[in-house]
Amino acid sequence: MKLSKYFKDKLGLILIYFFNYFIIISLLIAFKSSISLIIAISLLGLINFLLIFFLSYFKKKNFYDNLLNNLELLDKKYLILETLSKPSFYEGELLFNILYDINKSMIENVNIYKNSVADFKDYVEMWIHEVKIPISSLVLMMHNKKNIDKRFIQEIRKLDNYIDQVLFYVRSNYTEQDFLFKKISLNKIISQVAIKNIDDLRLNKVNLEVLVSDIVITTDPKWLEFIINQIVNNSIKYKKENNSYIKIYSKSYQDRVSLFIEDNGIGIPRKDLSSVFNKSFTGENGRNTTKSTGMGLYIAKKLCMKLGHKIEISSCEGEGTTLIITFNLDSFYQIEN
Amino acid sequence: MKILIIEDEKIIREELQELLLKNGYEVFLLTDFTNVLPIDPDKYDLILLDINLPNLNGEFLLKEIRKTSNIPIIMLTSRVDEMDEVLSITNGADDYITKPYNPIILLLRIQNIFKRINSNLDYLKYKNISFDLKSGVIKKNNLKVELTKNEMIIFNYLLTNKNKIISRDELMTILWNNNEYINDNSLTVNISRLRKKLDDLKSDVVIETRKGCGYILS
Repeated sequence: MKLSKYFKDKLGLILIYFFNYFIIISLLIAFKSSISLIIAISLLGLINFLLIFFLSYFKKKNFYDNLLNNLELLDKKYLILETLSKPSFYEGELLFNILYDINKSMIENVNIYKNSVADFKDYVEMWIHEVKIPISSLVLMMHNKKNIDKRFIQEIRKLDNYIDQVLFYVRSNYTEQDFLFKKISLNKIISQVAIKNIDDLRLNKVNLEVLVSDIVITTDPKWLEFIINQIVNNSIKYKKENNSYIKIYSKSYQDRVSLFIEDNGIGIPRKDLSSVFNKSFTGENGRNTTKSTGMGLYIAKKLCMKLGHKIEISSCEGEGTTLIITFNLDSFYQIEN
Repeated sequence: MKILIIEDEKIIREELQELLLKNGYEVFLLTDFTNVLPIDPDKYDLILLDINLPNLNGEFLLKEIRKTSNIPIIMLTSRVDEMDEVLSITNGADDYITKPYNPIILLLRIQNIFKRINSNLDYLKYKNISFDLKSGVIKKNNLKVELTKNEMIIFNYLLTNKNKIISRDELMTILWNNNEYINDNSLTVNISRLRKKLDDLKSDVVIETRKGCGYILS
C-alpha cells in the first residue's frame, strides 16, 4: 500500500477537514481571540489530523500489504484466504467475508466438474473392461478355428491397442495416483510386449533382437508395458520395405538404467522431431504413410513423467529411430516401496 | 487333469472349454452363479477363475476356496490394473492373466503350474532316449548329443506334448516367452538341426512335419 496513493484517495476528506479548520481559525480571528489560543488550536488540529490519518493508514497498510505479499508468493492464488486472519477494521472485514463467499462458491463449482470428470473416468474404465470381453471371445474363437487368416488377429490386436490408448489417456490425465510401483525384471516386461506383437512382427517380417541385461527396475509394470508397446507399434508401422529390425538393449550406469528401442525404419524428419511427444502431432510420416492419431507417444511421455522415468527420442530420416527410456535406481523408490 | 472354469461369459467359457479339451484336459463348467459355494476343490486339479462374476466377486471366491484348499487357481480378468494383480496374488492365486489373453500363453501357464506341482524331474525318458532338462543333453546308451538353448526349449516342449501336433505359432510363442526372439527362418533351421542330432543318435524318436499344421514328435 502506497502512502501517496492513499493520500490521493483521501484527498476529498482532507480538503474538507482543512476547509473546516480554516473556517474555525477565521472565526477565532473574527472574534478577536488571543494569538496563543489560535496557535494552540491550530497545533491541536494538525496533531489530530496526523494521528487520525496515519493510524488508519497503518492499520490498513498492515492488512493489505500482507494480502498482496501472500498473493505474490502463492503458487495457487485461490488459496489466499487460508493465509489471512480476519482484519480488525470494517472494510477489511467486508472484503474478508466476500472472499470467503467467493471461495466457497468456487469450490462448489469446481467440485461439480471434478465429480463429472471422475464419473467419466469411471465410466471409461468400466466400458473398457466390458469391451475387452468380446475381444477376448474373438481371440479365443479364432484360435480354436483352424487355419484362420492371420490378418483377423492382427486387426483385433489393433483394436485392443486403440482401446488401451483410451484407458491410459484417461489414467494419465485424470488421476493423481493410479499406479503401483513394483520391482520387476525388465526382460519380463519386454517379453510380454514381444508376445503381444508376435503376429504383427512375423507378418511384417520385422526381426526382434533383445539384449537386455538381467535388471530389476521399480515401476508400474502395466504402465511400462503400455509405453513400450506404443514404441514397438510405431516401429512396425513406420518400417522400411525390407530387412526391418527392432533392437532392444540396455545400458547400466551407477544410478540409472537406460532402455534403448532402436529400429531401422523410415525415421523422422528433423523438423518434426521436437514435436513427436506433443498431443495429436502426426508429422509428415503420420500423414503420408499410414493414418496416425498422434496420441501414442504423447500418452507414453505423460505416463513416463508420472512414473518418474525419462523418455527421449533420436532419429535420422531414412535411417531409423531410437527411443530411450531411463529408469532411476536411486533410493527414492526404495523408500516408496 | 481336471480343470474347473468359473467364467460368466458364455462364449468365453465355451471357447475355453474347447481349447482345453483339445489339449487333453478334462473340463468342468460352472454355469449357475446363484449358489456357487461350496465348491469342492478335491474334485478338480486346477481352477480358472474370472474376477468379475454376477452376484459375487472372484476375489471373494478365491479367499473362500483358499480357506480350505491349496488347489492351483489362475485368475482371469479384463481389468488392466496392477493393484488387482497384487491383491490376487496376496490372496493366494497362483497366476493372473489379463484379457484378451494369448491362448498359447494361457496353456503354457497351466502346463507350468502342473509341472511345478507334479514333478521335480531332471530327466525325461521316452522310447530309447533320455533328456537331461538341466544340461540339455540327449542320451541313448553311450551316445549323447548336446542341444543349444533354443533346441532345448523346442525339444522339451515337443517331448512334453508328444504325439500331439504342435503348430509353429506355438513353438514361436514358447521360445519368445523364454526371451529367445527368433524368426521363422531360424525356427526352421533349429528344427532341422534338432532332427539331425536325433538322427546322429539313431534314436527312435522322430520329429515329423505335418504340412500346414506343424510338427509332431513320436
